[in-house]
Amino acid sequence: MIPLLWRSVSQARYLLLGCFVLLCGFQIVIIGQATEIERTQSFGRMAELLPGFLQRGLGSRAMLLVTFKGTVAFGYFHPVVCLLMAGVAIYLATEPAHEIESGLVDLELARSVPRHRLLTRSLLLMLASLVVAASLMAAGTWLGAALFGSGAFGLPAPGVRARLLLNLIALAWCVGGFALLVATLSRRWMTAFTTVILLTVVAYLIDFLAIGWRPMRLVAWLSPFHYYPALSIVAGDAPTASDLAVLLSASVVFISLAYWQFHRRDL
Amino acid sequence: MPHAAIRADGLTKYYGEVIGIEDLSFEVVPGEVYGFLGANGAGKTTTIRLLLDLLRPSRGRATVLGVDCHRDSLAARRLIGYLPGDLPIYPDLNARDYLAYLARLDGRPVPPDYLRALLKRFDVSEIDQRRRLRVQSHGMKQKIGIIQALMARPAVAILDEPTAGLDPMMVQAFRETLADLKRGGQTTVFLSSHVLAEVESTCDRIGLVRGGRLVTTGTMADIKQNATRRVTVLFSAPVPPPAVAVPGATLHAVAPSQWVLDVRGPIGPLLGAVATLPVHDLVVDPFRLEDHIAQFYGGEAR
Repeated sequence: MIPLLWRSVSQARYLLLGCFVLLCGFQIVIIGQATEIERTQSFGRMAELLPGFLQRGLGSRAMLLVTFKGTVAFGYFHPVVCLLMAGVAIYLATEPAHEIESGLVDLELARSVPRHRLLTRSLLLMLASLVVAASLMAAGTWLGAALFGSGAFGLPAPGVRARLLLNLIALAWCVGGFALLVATLSRRWMTAFTTVILLTVVAYLIDFLAIGWRPMRLVAWLSPFHYYPALSIVAGDAPTASDLAVLLSASVVFISLAYWQFHRRDL
Repeated sequence: MPHAAIRADGLTKYYGEVIGIEDLSFEVVPGEVYGFLGANGAGKTTTIRLLLDLLRPSRGRATVLGVDCHRDSLAARRLIGYLPGDLPIYPDLNARDYLAYLARLDGRPVPPDYLRALLKRFDVSEIDQRRRLRVQSHGMKQKIGIIQALMARPAVAILDEPTAGLDPMMVQAFRETLADLKRGGQTTVFLSSHVLAEVESTCDRIGLVRGGRLVTTGTMADIKQNATRRVTVLFSAPVPPPAVAVPGATLHAVAPSQWVLDVRGPIGPLLGAVATLPVHDLVVDPFRLEDHIAQFYGGEAR
């Protein structure tokens, strides 16, 4: 397992490094912006600019977006952050499709390497990368607060930040599990990768549109983003346990199907 | 009774409606070099991928030294060294790291002296070993491919088009390597190739697949002995065509002072038939594996 893991890390190192820097840097930048807005006491004016559909859809929680605490927390559920985390998971989970397409699977599995090890490798790497990314995001928040001297403005409580990150990891893990399943059904990496990326963007849009568009709420439960109610987490009234249970259960189903499919398929 | 190095029993693989291979049965004796021949799409690679358990058989089974290739595939693959027809590479790795990675993945010990000997035989210098594979020539990658397949001294080496892209000197190095393996008697070689001269000079036995089925198999000696050869008999004076059929021979062309015949098996009966005639010369075309194989491909592409 170790040689396989190191090989994958080695191949993905620049991409992972870039994503980690972006995710960490994003937190620093957003704290810088929030600090500046707070210092100029502009959150009040921003509240007037909140779109009506957000206020109607999110209720009182919408006002959290125009507070220092809410803006800092926004760094953990901004679309760029969510899609970047999901993208990292998708990239790593679709590696088996790349190995099949490039023929590397012939070289690896001509040796005494069990088939399932390729999937386990991808899952381990995905989990490790998501944990590292989340840790760096937390470090980015701490660094930003120290850098801009904004600790006094009231960061989200450590417990809230931890729940946000935990939920974000579970969300990306669920998307990654689905990507693993698609990878085991594909012979082309690009097909697997783009299919899952596009579906993830669609799932995000469904969840976002469901805020202000009632018919979309009928299908919003199908989107994994539905189970990451970040503003409710910040407000302290999110059913975190059940959301995590849904995301993890779905990922268990996807991953189990992926192992079953990879075991039976021709490579 | 010792196990066959490779044994296929009714091995069959369908890709939906398409036949990959069908009811393929053959046996490779330990220590021999077995040439597995066939046109593109005949089923050679499908057979190899079934042996490696990369494909799941539709029916039938294959074993490597008695170990089932599907049910106990890990143990079977532990016995195999494999050179794919189109060697995949990790473009960011150099040759040394590539071999080291594959050795670690394998878990089988790679004797350093043997690896050094292989690198020397295939003329892979220190500089070559330090260059990334993506900038290496096709021939160099092929040499690295052969080395990775053989470096752990596998009991069975499955080599798909091993000499593709090699220069004549490296082809010679490959032949010497096979000869060494044969002398050692520890490694069985299953060699798939289009280069018939290569097969003829290196293989103890061959099997020919066509349309997913094994159409002929035998030792090179048997095949040569039983092959149809063209014999031209030149007479010093005009003679009539043979009045009765010559056993084992078919008349291909007749001229007043020349007969051209296709003779299968021993040439004795023909010599007997022309013994009383004014024979000036007798020309026997040398055996060519191409000609032997071509007779199985009359009419159809596969």
